[in-house]
Amino acid sequence: MSVPNQSRFAATVLLLLKLRAVLVLAILLVAFSILSPSFLTVNNLSILAKHVAISAILAVGMTFVILAGGIDLSVGSVAGLAGMVAGGLLTVGIGGHTTGAVAAIAIALLVSAAVGLLNGLLVSQLAVAPFIATLGTLYIARGAALLLSQGKTFPNLAETATRGSTGFSILGQSFVLGVPLPVWLMVAIAAVAVVVAKRTPFGRHVYAVGGNERAARLAGIRVERVKLLTYCFCSLCAGLVGLIIASQLESAHPATGETFELNAIAAVVLGGTSLMGGRGSIGGSIIGAFVIGVLADGLVMIGVSEFWQIVIKGGVIVIAVTVDQMQTRLQSRMAAAPSHTGGLREAV
Amino acid sequence: MKATLAIACAGLLLAGCRARDTRPLVAIVVPSQDNPYFKAEADAAAARAVELGYRVRVDAHDDDAYRQDNLVDSAIASNAKILILDNAGTDASVSAVRRATRAGIAVFLIDREITARGIAKAQIVSDNDQGARLVAAEFAHSLGASTAGHSEYAELLGRESDTNAQVRTAGFHAVLDRFPTLVLVAAQSANWSQAEAFSKTETILQAHGDIRGIIAGNDTMALGAVAAVKSAGLKGITIVGFDGSPDAVAAIEAGEMQATALQPAVLISRMAMDEANIFLRAGSTGKPEVQVIPCELVTKTNAETYVNFEKKK
Repeated sequence: MSVPNQSRFAATVLLLLKLRAVLVLAILLVAFSILSPSFLTVNNLSILAKHVAISAILAVGMTFVILAGGIDLSVGSVAGLAGMVAGGLLTVGIGGHTTGAVAAIAIALLVSAAVGLLNGLLVSQLAVAPFIATLGTLYIARGAALLLSQGKTFPNLAETATRGSTGFSILGQSFVLGVPLPVWLMVAIAAVAVVVAKRTPFGRHVYAVGGNERAARLAGIRVERVKLLTYCFCSLCAGLVGLIIASQLESAHPATGETFELNAIAAVVLGGTSLMGGRGSIGGSIIGAFVIGVLADGLVMIGVSEFWQIVIKGGVIVIAVTVDQMQTRLQSRMAAAPSHTGGLREAV
Repeated sequence: MKATLAIACAGLLLAGCRARDTRPLVAIVVPSQDNPYFKAEADAAAARAVELGYRVRVDAHDDDAYRQDNLVDSAIASNAKILILDNAGTDASVSAVRRATRAGIAVFLIDREITARGIAKAQIVSDNDQGARLVAAEFAHSLGASTAGHSEYAELLGRESDTNAQVRTAGFHAVLDRFPTLVLVAAQSANWSQAEAFSKTETILQAHGDIRGIIAGNDTMALGAVAAVKSAGLKGITIVGFDGSPDAVAAIEAGEMQATALQPAVLISRMAMDEANIFLRAGSTGKPEVQVIPCELVTKTNAETYVNFEKKK
């Protein structure tokens, strides 16, 4: 008689483990609301969401790459490069001809996608290990960003002497229905990504390639094309993030985005996506990005020193990964035992 | 395939062997080349060296003492006569400077001191403590510290492990803490970065709605605070920085920033190169080893007289 009880207990534990990111987020929100009276205000939540949008957009792109069994270390550099390309086009131009904001943004996104294409080709066609290929493009893109201005900052992107207002500040600074535009962009990208991941053949192919590449190939999935597309999408997200930051600061700095890749990977892992590929979800990564963002802003609000902030962030990541291991072990034990666990699969 | 490769390699080798340049080599090593301050300092030293008839090589150590060590080794290996160094840490750089000196290179330190004396030929630095007190006094004055009532302010610190960040915050507080009306409500490190200063200031402004001033350990962070204040739609917040970067000077002219302390980076680099040139010819610089150059206060009244870390001629 004790066997079904035990398995129900295990199932509850498993559910809690699967919901851990949501639980951690809820705990953080409650804790910071108690510790700082201005935390739970509309204004602050709007700013918080704007900060989270940066890492969440990166994390959505990164999730596809990781689900397909890869990793992209170049996102921070691509963000920096995109900002510099747009900044250069708006203020210096090509051969003295500056462009408007729309053209600058479009070209910067094209350049970002081109870096993604390079990542994808290196990984899928030349079979370079993703860690190495994107480590290489991390340096190439950062170097290119530095070369564009010889290391200088491109200032005054919102208004230039020749054109007056460029309209570039709209991307990062404007509001739609009282919500910052970057937050809408995050919502839109996340919504599209969820639909693509869950409801399209491409989404299923991404999971299949990451889960078992050989099997996916034998099943007739064009593995190379799937990988290529994940890297291009990831770089596009990174480029958009760089543009949002440049627009918010009204200036582009070549060092922008350093260590962003680590934040993005941390958000993905916190959200329960396996670094081995094939298992995880977009929604999880968004919640992971919120955990990191709430932690960062909340600790600043209550005045915790930078050094402790770093230690606490690291602690949360280590605990999350440890719990991930526990979940995997518990899951395989339950799969071996004759019980029903079906309803839990799509918990997050 | 192999033949093409061989030809390509030979071509590269040939391209590497340019005509022999017999001018003595000056190695210039600075923390980074993507920061306007270090870039101005490296450019000024390089330009003066070329004027004086030297060959120049500029490298960046990214505040990494190990990388600095390698760059010093490569300066020794390439027979440099002079090393102009903005070092990667007061204590961590002593051994590298000693090694270069033993190898016969005349080492001139700029911008940051090392703890050891008698190894480098000169250490020419700007007075961070005096500069910090200057901007802090202007900051207190602008907030009406001695006349008005209580005003809250926030501080953005540089990378907390960096000596300059520590000296500057100590200088700020040596002045500000004497005013009981000034209340520090938030102090956060933004690691010298504009993007980080932007998001941290946004959050700080949410937690403390009555902030009247923001004092930052460098101009990049001050400009991040300017963007955050603008995005929050706030007016009348006093923001001061440190360094005297061209972007900050422009922000002061536009009335978005109150003041900055200009570090005379260009002057210091030129002095170092001039003294190095004299040392090579005469065997002595004729100056004391440690030379401390005062910073200058830049405000709206004199902003138009400054350009790229120096006073306009």
